[in-house]
Amino acid sequence: MISVHSLSKKYGGATVLDLQELNIPKGELFGLVGNNGAGKTTFFSLLLDLIESSSGTVSINEIDVQKSEAWKPFTSAFIDESYLIGYLTVEEYYHFIGSLRGETIEEVDLFVKAFEPFFNSEILNQKKYLRDFSKGNQKKAGIIGALIGHPEVVILDEPFANLDPTTQIRLKTLLKEEAQKHGTTFLISSHDLTHVTDVCERIVLLEKGVILKDIKTTPSTLKELEHYFSN
Amino acid sequence: MSISLKQSISLSKKKFFRAPQWELKLAARIFIGFIALYFLVVFLALGIGLFFIIREASPDQDPVSVVNLWIIYFFGIDFLMRYFIQNPPITDVKSLLLQPITKAQIIQRVMLRSLTSFFNFIPLIILIPFCVVVSVENGSTLSLWIWFFAILTLSVTSNYLIFLINKNKSIAIGTLIFLILGYLLETYFKIPVISFFSSGFEAIYTQPLWILVPLALFAFIWQLTQRFLKSQLYLDKGLGKKKERIIGSKLKFFDAWGTIGVLLKNDIRLIIRNIRARQVVLMGFMFLFYGLFFFTQQIYIERPVVLIFAGVFITGGFMTAYGQYVPAWDSEYYSFLMGQNLPYKEYLKSKLYLLMFSIVLCTFLSFPYLYFGKKVMLIILAAGLFNLGLGSLINLFSGAYNATPIKLNVKAKAFENTQAFNLTQLLFSLPKLVLPIIIFYLPYAFLGFNAGILGLVFSGILGLVFQNKILNWIERIYQTKKYETLASFNKSKI
Repeated sequence: MISVHSLSKKYGGATVLDLQELNIPKGELFGLVGNNGAGKTTFFSLLLDLIESSSGTVSINEIDVQKSEAWKPFTSAFIDESYLIGYLTVEEYYHFIGSLRGETIEEVDLFVKAFEPFFNSEILNQKKYLRDFSKGNQKKAGIIGALIGHPEVVILDEPFANLDPTTQIRLKTLLKEEAQKHGTTFLISSHDLTHVTDVCERIVLLEKGVILKDIKTTPSTLKELEHYFSN
Repeated sequence: MSISLKQSISLSKKKFFRAPQWELKLAARIFIGFIALYFLVVFLALGIGLFFIIREASPDQDPVSVVNLWIIYFFGIDFLMRYFIQNPPITDVKSLLLQPITKAQIIQRVMLRSLTSFFNFIPLIILIPFCVVVSVENGSTLSLWIWFFAILTLSVTSNYLIFLINKNKSIAIGTLIFLILGYLLETYFKIPVISFFSSGFEAIYTQPLWILVPLALFAFIWQLTQRFLKSQLYLDKGLGKKKERIIGSKLKFFDAWGTIGVLLKNDIRLIIRNIRARQVVLMGFMFLFYGLFFFTQQIYIERPVVLIFAGVFITGGFMTAYGQYVPAWDSEYYSFLMGQNLPYKEYLKSKLYLLMFSIVLCTFLSFPYLYFGKKVMLIILAAGLFNLGLGSLINLFSGAYNATPIKLNVKAKAFENTQAFNLTQLLFSLPKLVLPIIIFYLPYAFLGFNAGILGLVFSGILGLVFQNKILNWIERIYQTKKYETLASFNKSKI
């Protein structure tokens, strides 16, 4: 689904990302961990063609994201609050995304209604603008927004941060279900090692822009990661 | 005080030089400095000239008394302007709350700092030269300076009144209605509304003891403001966000237009739901009245080139005011848009249609100018067509080079609007003004008025015919500028 070839990003003289080879198959729950400055967000930004690579290519479904926009119909992301349109209500925001992805208002309404348990009655029908939501609720709204229109690839940056414990647990179930039901490929970055090992089948550990570990998740993965980060 | 002056200057210096495109901002600051200087000179000239104008118009009356007749309008308009533009700097104090400063000190600071507002200097700049001229020409009197002081006091009182009414719309509308109604009652029905205030100011001027009234009013408002601010220094009061009413939720009309309709719907919501956008759009529509300035003066009526200039402004006011910040209006969520299933061209097209729609609307609204003759109307229509065909595209094109982000829900302050103002933008606005004049002038000089009009009409149609081709070309520029624009929009998300 996603393939990366000798992708690098340099700012001035400093290399912030240098990935030789990375392939993510369809339907994989892919986790990305690493300390601040490891290059997680840089990688996501390159994948979404928001920054220019210094060398190399990223393709989604064989489409080089820097050469064509044809990856956009089946790719979506929620990186931070700047992925919300602050002056819209949640419903208007969802309808907006939906209409860009060829869904009718009714389809979108029906789709998001199914996530009511995840929303915990705090998102829909609130009669307020997205900019007035709390950080946690903005995140909830954004994550579900990224699922509208059945994208094949969903990129989530730090989805667990700012969520209350109940929602964190519900999010884990939700992600697993979506991947299983629709074969959605998820790329998730997180500082929370427990959650990311719970959810992801495969975890890549980045440090200073290079891949240090690329592991299939097993019961011992959490220990392994904790051991790495405590040194 | 928690931070010394030196620290505070150093902080603002850092804020300035570390901002994206700071070189351009510096140029913009200098430019705005010149504009401020220009206004300063204009007001100074007004202050000095006022005396002579009044003496010319009514030689038997005391100039100060003549000023008194009209001064209530000044206060009314000043109050409305403050209402729209002035922002009580109360939300900035959140970070001070946990510092070892007393609340009284914070309030004092807020109240003193608000005095630096541009509006508080207007009466100073106008009235000091006026009073100096009056004292030179008619002899200095104590009562004159007491009158001056009274006006100053009232102006500062108005400064604090803005705090108290706290964005109360009905008070602003009430003030406007009062001014208009007062004028009408006074002139047509001889009911003394305005002259009641005039005689009040006259009383201060002739019997200085009346100064006690404005002073008492000031003291009263000062006290009230202090008390009010104290009650507002809580997160769930003045420092918190106000709950907003949802407006513009039903815009079904656009649903039939596909993707472009969806984007247009968003733009309409952007305009009506964000303070900054509302401000700019309001300003854009003010240009509609720009024609009154030109068409009423015989000297301009005989110069069609000047009238073209007016026509371009009348029909393209909104386009210029709003369009110069495309795509910066979407800067807060530009990354999101770039990742959506949304071809760049559709996005640009929706912006273009919005601009074109505004031109049609403005042209339609300018029909009353027919009053000034067919020729004037013809000029407006031709200028409108130029704007529709070419002006809109030039506007969109220049947007590709404007990468200074905008904070949507924050008011712009008078003369501090370096936000998204830059020199490139200014350079780009030149062709928008100069081009139609050249297009008109060349045929006009050789073949006469009608040929000039035809030149404009033809250029507009040409723009419309090749719109798609030109749009493709503009899209490519936007594509190549994309990363730069994104970097700049994201940088200032602090």
